[in-house]
Amino acid sequence: MFLEQFSSGATKDSLVRLFLVIIGLILFSLLTLYSISDNPLSFNSAFFRQCVFLILSFLAFLIVRNIKIKTIHDNSTLIFIVAIIFCIIPFFLPRVEYTYRWIDFGLFYIQPSEYLKCATVIVIAKYLSNHQLEVKDSSIILVPGILTLISAFIVLNQPDLGTTVIICAPLIPMLLWAGVSNFVIFLIIAPVITVLAASNIVVFTVWALIMFIIFLIFQANIITKSVLYFANIFTGLLTPFLWNNLAEYQKQRILTFLNPDLDPMGSAYHIIQSITAIGSGGFFGKGWGEGSQTQLKFLPVQESDFILSVLAEELGFLGIFFIMILCFLLIKTLLDIAFRSSDYFASLVIIGIASILLSHIFINSAMTIGLMPVKGLPMPFISAGGSFLLSCFIMIGLVFSFSKN
Amino acid sequence: MLKIENKADIFHYRALLFLLCLALFSLLSRYFYLQVIDYDRHFSKSRINSVKALTTYAPRGLILDRHGEILVDNYPTYILTVTPYELRDQEEQFVKLASIIDVDFEELNRRYKKYNRGRFLPTVIAKNLTFEQISQIEEMRLEFPGIQYDRSDERIYSSLLNDAHFLGYLREVDRDVVPTLDKSLLYRAGELMGWQGVEKQYERELRFSKGVDYIEVDTYGREIFRLDQDNIPAFPGEDLSLTIDSNLQQYCRNILQDKKGSVLVSNVDTGEILSMVSSPSYDLSVYRGTTSQTEWDSLLSDQDNPLLNRSIGGLYPAGSKLKLITVINLIEDSLLDPLDNLLCTGIYSPPGSSSEFRCWNENGHGLVDLNKAIAQSCNIYFYETVQLTSLKKWTDTAKKFGFNTLTGIDLPNEKDGLIPDKEFYVKNYGRWGWSERGVLLNLTLGQGDILITPVQALRFVNHIASRGDTAQLRLNLSKELSYYDKIIYQDKIWNHIWDGMFDVVNGDQGSGWRAKINDSDIKLFGKTSTAENPHGEPHAWFIGFFEMQDTTYSIVVMIENGGGGGAIASPIAGDIVSYYVNSSKSFVEN
Repeated sequence: MFLEQFSSGATKDSLVRLFLVIIGLILFSLLTLYSISDNPLSFNSAFFRQCVFLILSFLAFLIVRNIKIKTIHDNSTLIFIVAIIFCIIPFFLPRVEYTYRWIDFGLFYIQPSEYLKCATVIVIAKYLSNHQLEVKDSSIILVPGILTLISAFIVLNQPDLGTTVIICAPLIPMLLWAGVSNFVIFLIIAPVITVLAASNIVVFTVWALIMFIIFLIFQANIITKSVLYFANIFTGLLTPFLWNNLAEYQKQRILTFLNPDLDPMGSAYHIIQSITAIGSGGFFGKGWGEGSQTQLKFLPVQESDFILSVLAEELGFLGIFFIMILCFLLIKTLLDIAFRSSDYFASLVIIGIASILLSHIFINSAMTIGLMPVKGLPMPFISAGGSFLLSCFIMIGLVFSFSKN
Repeated sequence: MLKIENKADIFHYRALLFLLCLALFSLLSRYFYLQVIDYDRHFSKSRINSVKALTTYAPRGLILDRHGEILVDNYPTYILTVTPYELRDQEEQFVKLASIIDVDFEELNRRYKKYNRGRFLPTVIAKNLTFEQISQIEEMRLEFPGIQYDRSDERIYSSLLNDAHFLGYLREVDRDVVPTLDKSLLYRAGELMGWQGVEKQYERELRFSKGVDYIEVDTYGREIFRLDQDNIPAFPGEDLSLTIDSNLQQYCRNILQDKKGSVLVSNVDTGEILSMVSSPSYDLSVYRGTTSQTEWDSLLSDQDNPLLNRSIGGLYPAGSKLKLITVINLIEDSLLDPLDNLLCTGIYSPPGSSSEFRCWNENGHGLVDLNKAIAQSCNIYFYETVQLTSLKKWTDTAKKFGFNTLTGIDLPNEKDGLIPDKEFYVKNYGRWGWSERGVLLNLTLGQGDILITPVQALRFVNHIASRGDTAQLRLNLSKELSYYDKIIYQDKIWNHIWDGMFDVVNGDQGSGWRAKINDSDIKLFGKTSTAENPHGEPHAWFIGFFEMQDTTYSIVVMIENGGGGGAIASPIAGDIVSYYVNSSKSFVEN
């Protein structure tokens, strides 16, 4: 059908597999949405709406996969700038639900940050795929780092912490893929660990020692190394001081920001309900449409954020196991395609896309089982929701387009 | 050439694959733990029952006066809530309810829609139920699935002080407002929050912290078991002690009965407000939710605007007290000798102009020196002398004393007033529509476009009474003492102002002689103002200060459209000072 242009046999197989995996995830999604809708065939049900979104998204996929890779490569900066502008527009419009995340088109809302994720990946890929680039030099992180920070800063101010995390996620995998030295990767991760470790003096001392050894091992200019080492140490020492200097209400604000629903009646309650629903599903589940927690509406936002909890209650560990296998195949197939791709730019973009999808999968699942605070990030291809489904299909369309000869 | 060879190597491929496996495996193992190892516990929990979380409440903090007298207390009432998904037949149940509780069916529906916050959360639909009504509902309990009653606290005000604007009141939070509020205080639609006055200012301190009771319910929502070990207790809010002296407050309020205006009394050394009255006022308990719409409409449409706290939110021309600003400028720049006499004939014509300006004393004050000009508030003296200074100098000095800025008193909705400067005149009158000489004639009398609040006048008199170094005004007794920016002048400037203000009250023909009190120990300093305005009679002002038992106190009286400052405001100020001096003396003796 639409695979004939792909000459390489192995890539063709991968694309077929990718397509089948996505169909599998969508089947699970529709099954679950049908089960929780009171009247699945009415125009307002989550099930029916998702069917409409699927058709629209598939059309978008067909269009995107025909765009030439050269067009995207040559216009990547333009794509990034347009995406940034679209993310800034909501700040000048009236707020929707008290945030600047959405643009109101009357009939529907668009969340521009969904597309900024992808645009950031494309522009970083273009930079890293430049053949004149000296990848072993530490300064290579500057441009990708700054581009990521610009996107992240805008989205953080919308405010949307979840999407900010997603925007930052592809940076390290893409740098790794581009072949930057491990030392550079370490430079990015180190300050994060430093700040986290700063709360406990023992942990901090151990971390400082580890850092010292790592800095000794890596080959680099001794002055650069010592400056970076002490910069880290000072950041760590300053963190508790700065934190303690904040007024109580400022601390409270930061904590509320990191974990928006400190309300014991809010997220804590949701997570308790989610865990009970998941745990009570057991190995085989209670059966399709038989989940008592789900059907009695103890579970919140069942059709998007907590859809995995519904699935886990009704289809059991077996169902979750299948979902996780599908997710594994989805990401693994993307890695395969990226690895085999003959074009370096395409390969980097696909790695970025795989990182975005994996972060969504991980954060959403971790939230339902109480490993992470409630962030409102949906599960790719499974959660109900138009903007996100469309952006997922656009990303898959890019993968198909990039795999053409 | 676009094509650049893929440089990815197998090591990086494996590293990312390992990361992928690690992420998914950790998720899967947690699912395995919950669903297979811990299955029995979760299953039994879900089959027989489910955990339901009930919010618990604690009382809001009380508001006390400086002596520990309770001004605002809580009293318990019954409220009725509805949990939407437990309702069987909303219409039928609401009709039945309406017949019992005295609220019409439409009103119940309206509140149900307004405060609804989800299918599984209780929504408040009625308040202030009587015990009889609750008993009746309890008897018919089976006919009202999904409808519960609950205890809820309302505010009750001390009967002696139930109309003080600064206390403020509570109002229910609408669903639309909730997302805009401080998230850490966990508001829900239908709950009460401070909406005005100190109730709003100190919401964070006064508000209780919510708790949660976890209970197990069966599939019909009936309580089976209380899971006490997981409960989070609710804590009451902190009590708030105000700087207000409720006896003095009451006395001042009674004096302003049937008048419009404001009275402020403060301790200059500490910035504590002892009394803050704004009249006319209204009974704060109208906000308790049982007020009828007509009562509301009459409050809102009242021409006298009883809802406005005039002390901080009323804007008025300042009048002659701002002559003191001119005095400061004249002496600071040595523009005249304070002992020089000028002749006041009752009429002043600016040089080169045919227009005439009159003194309030049409016969003229005769020969006037600085002291007499302040004491008798002679307009002609200031018309002439202000011409020696400049507009910029005048406005700078006025702003130094805090006019045109908020005093920062701990109340919401304070107004900042206006001191017109050059930019203002150019903007409003055009480049050539005004002259510096002309506007100075208005400014020196505190007239023209000047607008101030009574609390700004209080800050002004406190600066004078403390010779430039006065404490930040406040209502919270436990708030840390802080100071306004220090105003530095030579002693002789303060001396001239003090002398003038002393003679206003105590001198021959002083404009404020009616404020003089019969107590030789107390020296009252003051300044009257009669502020002309386009809305009728002038506003009568008196500002003053006195020392008692090593503490300096200040007072501001403003009677809206009252008439002359000397005739109307001064005797009121004198009465209040005498009352306070006498009550303090008897307090010490006891």
